[in-house]
Amino acid sequence: MSRIHILDDRLVSQIAAGEVVERPSSVVKELVENALDAGAREIRVELVAGGKRRIVVADDGCGMDADDALLAFDRHATSKIDSIDDLERVATLGFRGEALSSIAAVARVELRTAETAGEGQRVRIEGGRVVTVEPVAHPQGTRLEVASLFFNVPARRKFLKRPQTELRHALAVIQGYALAQPEVRFSLRHDGRMLLETLPVSADQEGLRARIGQIFGAVLARNLIPLEAAVRPGERVAGFVGNRQTGRGRRLFVYVNRRLVRDRALLAIFYRTVRETWKSDAFPALFLFLEVPPEEVDVNVHPQKAEVRFRDPGFAGRVGDALRAALEQARGEEPAPLATPVAPPSMPAAWEGLGERKQPLRDDGGTWRPLPGGEVSEVREGAVAGGDELADGGARSYGRAVEPGPAAGVAPRIAQPNFTPPAPRTVPLSGRSGPPRAFRLLGQYKGSLILLEGPDGLYLIDQHVAHERLLYERLRRAFADESTPSQSLIEPQILELGPAEALRLSELAPALEPCGFALRPLSGGAVALAALPADLALDAAERLLQRLATAEEAIENDPGALRRQLLDDFAASQSCRAAVKMHHPLTMDEMQALISELFRAEQPYACPHGRPVVLQMTDVELERRFGRR
Amino acid sequence: MDIRLNRVELLRELVPMQGIVERRSTIPVLSHLLLRAIDDRLEVAATDLEVSLTSSCEAEVEEEGAIALQAKKLLEIVRACEGDDVALSLDSETQTVSLAAGKSRFKIRGLPADDFPTLPSLEADGAVEVAFPTFKKMVGKVFFAVSSEESRFQLAGALLEQREGALTLVATDGHRLALVESEVEGLEAADSVLVPRKALQELLRLEDEADLHFRRGEHHLSFTVGRRQLICRVLEGTFPDYERVIARDNDKHVVLPRQSFAAAIQRVSLLTGDRARSIRLNLRDGELELTAANPDLGEAREDLPCEYQGEELSVGLNPDYLKDFLGAVETDTVRLELKDEDSQCVAYPVDGDDRRYLCVIMPIRI
Repeated sequence: MSRIHILDDRLVSQIAAGEVVERPSSVVKELVENALDAGAREIRVELVAGGKRRIVVADDGCGMDADDALLAFDRHATSKIDSIDDLERVATLGFRGEALSSIAAVARVELRTAETAGEGQRVRIEGGRVVTVEPVAHPQGTRLEVASLFFNVPARRKFLKRPQTELRHALAVIQGYALAQPEVRFSLRHDGRMLLETLPVSADQEGLRARIGQIFGAVLARNLIPLEAAVRPGERVAGFVGNRQTGRGRRLFVYVNRRLVRDRALLAIFYRTVRETWKSDAFPALFLFLEVPPEEVDVNVHPQKAEVRFRDPGFAGRVGDALRAALEQARGEEPAPLATPVAPPSMPAAWEGLGERKQPLRDDGGTWRPLPGGEVSEVREGAVAGGDELADGGARSYGRAVEPGPAAGVAPRIAQPNFTPPAPRTVPLSGRSGPPRAFRLLGQYKGSLILLEGPDGLYLIDQHVAHERLLYERLRRAFADESTPSQSLIEPQILELGPAEALRLSELAPALEPCGFALRPLSGGAVALAALPADLALDAAERLLQRLATAEEAIENDPGALRRQLLDDFAASQSCRAAVKMHHPLTMDEMQALISELFRAEQPYACPHGRPVVLQMTDVELERRFGRR
Repeated sequence: MDIRLNRVELLRELVPMQGIVERRSTIPVLSHLLLRAIDDRLEVAATDLEVSLTSSCEAEVEEEGAIALQAKKLLEIVRACEGDDVALSLDSETQTVSLAAGKSRFKIRGLPADDFPTLPSLEADGAVEVAFPTFKKMVGKVFFAVSSEESRFQLAGALLEQREGALTLVATDGHRLALVESEVEGLEAADSVLVPRKALQELLRLEDEADLHFRRGEHHLSFTVGRRQLICRVLEGTFPDYERVIARDNDKHVVLPRQSFAAAIQRVSLLTGDRARSIRLNLRDGELELTAANPDLGEAREDLPCEYQGEELSVGLNPDYLKDFLGAVETDTVRLELKDEDSQCVAYPVDGDDRRYLCVIMPIRI
C-alpha cells in the first residue's frame, strides 16, 4: 500500500480552517467583517461561555438570497472580488472567501438571512455537511449562529483557554471594529449580560472621540489630542494621541482603511516619534485612522490581515509628521537635564555611550553656545582628520563645542600670529606611562557629571543616573524578601476601563492580591479598587493597573513573577526620586564612594529607565581631535 | 488716590492676603493686591480666581481711587518702614504709587485696577452665624485628612454640613476620614457643601474674631470674619456617604493616655520600612505593644500600659495618621475602637468638648 494518499475534502477544509479560525474571537472577527461588508448599521454579538459554546452575530445588512445562502459556505465563495485585478482595489474587509466555509467545517452553523424582511432562508450545516435548507421568516439582514466550535477537532478544542480569556479576545475584536465604525451600533452580550453597547455617532473627529469615550470612558476621551496632517488627495490621516496623563497604558489602535492592523512599521514610527518628542518611554494612547486609495496599499500580505504594505514610501513619513505635531502639542513644558537654555542636552556623537543611546542625535546646528572670546567657524564636513567613521552631525557638534582643531579651519582666537600648528607627534596619550593606570577621579563638571580618567580614555558619569542605578539595585535587593503591606481604602476607588481591560484586570486580580491590591470587578467595564500597596499613591496605583490592563504582551498570571515586575517598576520610580539631582555639588569623597559602588553594580551602564550612565571618550579619539593621529 | 493711614493696621491687612496671592501665576495681576480708597477707608483684595479675600482698614481719604500693587513687595516695604503712618498717592497717568512712611519715600509701579478680576459678591442675607474660634478648631480637627492628591478633586476639600442645632465638618483622603460635629445654636435649614482645601487653610490663618458669618451662593461660599471676607468657589463633586463608612460594630475598645501614646508612636515609627510607613499595634490585657520593622535598619518595640480587656488583637496602621489625630485632639485620653486586622480603627477623644469627633483610619495589611 502506498504511503502517500490524497486527503479527503473534508479534512482539507478542516486543516484550512485552522488558518482562519483559531479561537472564538476569530469567528467573531470574520462574522463582524462580513456584517460590515454587508452594510450593517447595527451588529449584535452574543457569546456563551466565551464563544466556546455559542457565538451569534446578527446584523441588519443587505442579506442574501436563497442561492447565495448556500453558496456562501463553499470554499473561496466571495461576493467581494471577481478577478485577481480586484485584489488591487480591495475595499471590503474580507475578500478571500475562506471564512464561512472554514467556520462551517469545524462547527455547527446556522444561517438565517433575508434580503427583504419576511422571506428568508435558513441553512444548517454541521462539520461542513449541509443538514437543512428551508425558508424562514427573518428581518432584513443576516444572523449566524456558530455553536460547539471545534466539536469535530478535539486537538484544537483542547487549546482553547478559559471562557474569560476567550471572551476577552472576542471583546478586543469587537472593540476594535467599534472604534473604526463609529456610525455602526455594536452590542455584545455574554451569558446574557450586556458587556458593551455603543450608540451610533458621526464618523468625524468628534464622533471618533465620542466613540472612544463610549468604550474607554470619558476620562480618556477628554485627554486626547487630535491628529492633523497635510496629505495627498485620497489620503486621510486622522485620529488622536493621548496627552501625558494617558501615558503608560498600551492603548494602541492603528487602522488602515478602517481595518485594524498590527503593522510593526507603523508602530515603530509611533514609538520613535514618542521617544524623540517626549524623550521618554511612556507611550500615550494612540488611535490612528489612515485612509489611502485601495490600490495604494497591499493588505494581502498576511492571512489575518495584520500587516499592510504601502506603495508610496513617503506615506509613512507623513504619518510620522502628523504624530510629531500632535505629540509636541501634548508634551507641555519639560526642563532640559542640564538646564542651559541655549544648548540642547544631546552629547556629541564622538562620546561613545557605553550604554545604548536612546535618541538618535539630531543636528541642532548653531544651537551650541559659542565659546567666549571669538567666533567659532564652521567645521567643514570631513575636514576633521580621521573623522570619517564618525557621524557627521556628531563631528560638527563636537567641533563647535570644543573649538575646531587646526585642520578644521582656523578660528580667530587660535589664529594668532605666533601660532603654529603642532607638528604631529608620535607619542600617543595612551600607553605613555607604561602599564595602564586604574581609574582616577578628576572632578565634577557643572555639579552634574563626574569626570574620570580611565586606562583607555576619559569617562563622564551622569551622577543622577548613576546614583539612581545604585539605589535601584539596593531597593530591588531589599524588596526581594519584604512582603508588601496593603493599605485599605475608606471607599473603593472605581477605575473606569474598557470592557476588555476590565476583564483582563479581573483575571489578574488573584495574582495581584499578594502584591497588595484588592480588586473587585463591577459591571460595565469598571473595577473597584478596595486596597492598594501602602507605598503607592492612588494616582500611581491607578496608572499601574491601567498599564497592566492594557498591556499587549501576555502578563504572567503567576503571583511571584507579577510581584517581581511590580516591584521592579516601583524600585525604578522610587530610586529616581531619591537619587542626587543634577547641579548638586559633591565632595571628592562622595564621588569616590559613588563610583566604587557603581563599579560593583550588577549593571553599571544604564539606569532603570534605559538611559546611559557612562560616556567614554577614548584616547584614540582624543588624539584624533588634537591632530596627533 | 491720596490717603494716609496707620502703618500697623495696614500691615495687619496685608499679611493674611499673602496666602491667597499666586506666586507663580501666568496672569501677572494675580500676584497683586487691589487697593481701593473709598469714603473713609482703604479696601484691600487678593484672589487666585478660586479663593479671594477682601478686607479694609480706616484711612484719611483725600482723593478716592484704585490701583493693583505687587503683594509681596508692598508687604516688604510697609513692614520695613518706620513711622506710625503711611501715605499713599497714586499718579494715574503712570499707574505709580508714591509711598511715604517715616523718612522713606518709595515709588511703586502698579497695574490698572481695571485689570484686577471682578470678585464674586454674595447677598448679605441668609447668613449662618458661628463662633469663629469654634469653627477654626473644627477645621483644625479635620484639615489633615483633606486630600492633597489633585486627581481626586472631590476629596480636595471638606464637607460642611448644617443641621438643626449642629454643624459638621468631614474630610477624607481615601485612607482615613475625620469628622467633627459641634453644637451651634440657631441653625435651621439642612444643607451641605464642599469647601475647597485652600479656603480652609486660609481660614485657619485668619486672626481670631468673635463670629463667623457663613453664606452660600449658587457657585460661591463666603466666610465673613470681622471686616475680612473670604469667598471661594463651591467644590463640585460627590462626597462619600460618610456615615455608612464609619464602623459601628468595632467591639474591642482600648483607652490610652494621649501624650504618651503619641510619644511612643513617634519613637517606634523611627524604624518603619522605606517602602511604606506602618506600625503594628498588638493588644493584650492591659498592654499595648507597638512594633515597627525596617528590613535594612532594624526593629523597634515599645510597651504601653492601657485600659484593655479582651482577646488579643494585632493591627497595622500608618503612624502618621495616628499622629495627625493625636495632634488635633485636645483631651488627655483617647479611645481606639477596633475589630480585627482587616477592619478600620476608629479613634475618639474621651470626654471631649465636641458633640462628636472621630477619625477613621484604614488598616495596612501585611
